[in-house]
Amino acid sequence: MKITEDIVREVILEVLRDLAGNGGLGSSAGKASAPVEFKLIGPAKQGVDKNEVVIAIPPAFGTAMTSTIIGIPHQQVLREILAGIEEEGLKARIIKVNRTVDVAFMSHDAAKLSGSGIGIGVQSRGTAVIHQKDLKPLQNLELFSQSPLLDLATFRAMGRNAAKYAKGDSPRPVPVRNDPMARPRYQGLAALLYNKEVQYLNPDKPPEEVAVRL
Amino acid sequence: MSYIAGVDVGNNTTEVAVGEVSPDGKAYFISSATVRTVGIKGTIQNAMGVIEGLDTALMATPLKRKDLSLILLNEATPVIGDVAMETITETVITESAMIGHNPGTPGGEGLGTGITIRLESLDSKVPGVPCIVVVPGNNDFQNVVARLNRSMMGNARIAGAILQNDDGVLVANRLSMRIPIVDEVEFIDRIPIGMPAAVEVAAPGRSIEKLSNPYDIATLFDLGPEETRKIVPIARALTGVRSAVVIKTPMGDIQKRSIPAGKLVLMGRGRRVEAQVEEGADAIMAKADEISPLEEILGEPGTNVGGMFEHMRKIMAELTDQPVRSVSVRDILAVETFKPQKVVGSLAGEYSLGNAVGLAAMVETHKLPMMRLAAKIDEETMVPCCVGGVEAEMAILGALTTPGATAPFAILDLGGGSTDAAIIDRDGNIQSIHLAGAGEMVTLLIDTELGLDDRELAEQIKRHPLAKVESLFHIRHEDGSVQFFEEPLAPKLFGRVAVITENGPKPLDLDVPLEKIVSVRRQAKHKVFVSNTLRALKRIAPAGNIRLINFLALVGGSALDFEIPKMISDSLFEFGVVTGRANVRGTEGPRNAVATGLILAQVERGKKNR
Repeated sequence: MKITEDIVREVILEVLRDLAGNGGLGSSAGKASAPVEFKLIGPAKQGVDKNEVVIAIPPAFGTAMTSTIIGIPHQQVLREILAGIEEEGLKARIIKVNRTVDVAFMSHDAAKLSGSGIGIGVQSRGTAVIHQKDLKPLQNLELFSQSPLLDLATFRAMGRNAAKYAKGDSPRPVPVRNDPMARPRYQGLAALLYNKEVQYLNPDKPPEEVAVRL
Repeated sequence: MSYIAGVDVGNNTTEVAVGEVSPDGKAYFISSATVRTVGIKGTIQNAMGVIEGLDTALMATPLKRKDLSLILLNEATPVIGDVAMETITETVITESAMIGHNPGTPGGEGLGTGITIRLESLDSKVPGVPCIVVVPGNNDFQNVVARLNRSMMGNARIAGAILQNDDGVLVANRLSMRIPIVDEVEFIDRIPIGMPAAVEVAAPGRSIEKLSNPYDIATLFDLGPEETRKIVPIARALTGVRSAVVIKTPMGDIQKRSIPAGKLVLMGRGRRVEAQVEEGADAIMAKADEISPLEEILGEPGTNVGGMFEHMRKIMAELTDQPVRSVSVRDILAVETFKPQKVVGSLAGEYSLGNAVGLAAMVETHKLPMMRLAAKIDEETMVPCCVGGVEAEMAILGALTTPGATAPFAILDLGGGSTDAAIIDRDGNIQSIHLAGAGEMVTLLIDTELGLDDRELAEQIKRHPLAKVESLFHIRHEDGSVQFFEEPLAPKLFGRVAVITENGPKPLDLDVPLEKIVSVRRQAKHKVFVSNTLRALKRIAPAGNIRLINFLALVGGSALDFEIPKMISDSLFEFGVVTGRANVRGTEGPRNAVATGLILAQVERGKKNR
């Protein structure tokens, strides 16, 4: 069978309809929530503070898209990560990475700009990585690959662990749940969200630092 | 010219030596090997390990199995050791009188006293006195902050807060007033409401000062002399923590209770002595010494220790085809240890160190299962196989090939299950002894004291020195030295405490500081091996005087440990004993002593027969 773009489109639409029927998962994804209020500070600078963790988000995060694949508002995602970092007594900076939405490279960019060498990258659908500047981009300290299983408590723990790495502690990795059904169930939706996210990239634009009102 | 092999089947490893015997009756060693023992020492299953060992040793030579004219086995005294743990104290808090724990990040700083009140009640009924706010986990930190700030603006006087969530710093950072906040209190619902309470949080790196002092607690709660006497245990329990809550309840108390752990019946010299396990290790060992040499030990059924004795008897009975009743326990080693335990009645899931007694025991029989093993090997390899000689004698003969060693001479065989010692005098008379407690006991102690519940992990910690991975390019070893790497280390090592194995660093999934692990490991080794060394040497030394031993060599697997030989040699220094690791045949180190001794003994016998 020859796979044309039309067939793919049809399959995805079918998956979406199916999901919407099965508990309305599709309808809540990627929209529905209030946008995050960002304030542009300027080009992202190299940090020197040892007590900071840098969080990287893609351009669509909190603006064109406002919630994760399971409908958690981006506002709350950022709030929990920031809270986790603050509770450990560290500071956070947020950068928008414009060149890629690959979570490995996003988070590595954040780690390289971070004064502590520790960074977190979060995609709009929720997939996240804790990274360290001396690692190779495709390595990581902790990987949260199944976005449909990431809840607010996980995002809080993610911030906490990143802060602990920055302090030189050895935190237990955040327990990551694994659901073999998440992949078939959400794959179509995840691909759609990824495609949408990519449209907002600007490969020539360097990362920018933003402040967020929570 | 003929070739013979000596085989030593140990608890953990099977060692092989292959020697060439020249026509004039001299032995030349041509190869040796060490493989893992298959099955329990002294069973037919060992045959597989023996054959593997032979093949490994022969691989380095042009010889085949059929070129061997004889295989000699050690006449192992059937000895097995096992270990068990009995917890003898527990900590109990009554009426939720206190919380003393070290959450990673409490909020605020200082001391606050007041009446406990729920967050929900703050708006409706504000008491005219200062209050300590109790916040269950379903409250978001921003709501908590908003409510507390509103109340502080109003007429409520808030002196401190107790949170269920890990939100202490988040709340403290946003409050208009600075109050001490204790967080991560797991069972917040159990906190009595409407009771006088005090909350204290110390500055980072310090521990609380007021709530760990009985007179300060008396001052805060206006206690009389009798009440002050009662809160002493609470103050003591709070010493050294960074944050604490004390609640004044009518009967609130904290106690260290002893748990009945059964008794041991020790028999020897026609006497019978009972020892209560909860009296501790020293009391048990004192009683055992009283009636040494031991002939039999019985444990109380239904206790861990009783279970261990029964288990060992059963294994040994099966091994030797004897009725369980004819197997007797010959030695025990009791060691004081600690076990982290959940505090009964605690509010924050606190742990305290309960006292425990670790016991190693050893059983012995007279029948020799090695004969059956020899027959089996004979059949499998088509080479005549026989049992060559008593293990201790062979070990001494083998160890005497160490350059610089001569009789009178003693050896200490530090194994996995038992510690054995033997001594040879100028006339060639040999005396030997087996004692309970060796490497496996150390593993058990490390496992228990660190609360690992993972023997494999404890074994790793026992065997290897530690280091902290400080960056991806350098690690700091436990002695403080730094090692750099050209290539970045694996990400899973980042920030971790790691064991330095032969294959490089391996991360430990543990939230315990490196210094603590090192200290537990060293103490465990010291408790088992140093005390057993002294115990063993006293029994075999001429007139029981260790000073009369001139030379002592360490053999066996635990002699390869990176710190045990030094500990033993330090402890024997004051007796003037020359102590060191054996170097069998000048090449084998502390390994292969028995296998080597078997071949040497065979050659000697051959000379006499001629």
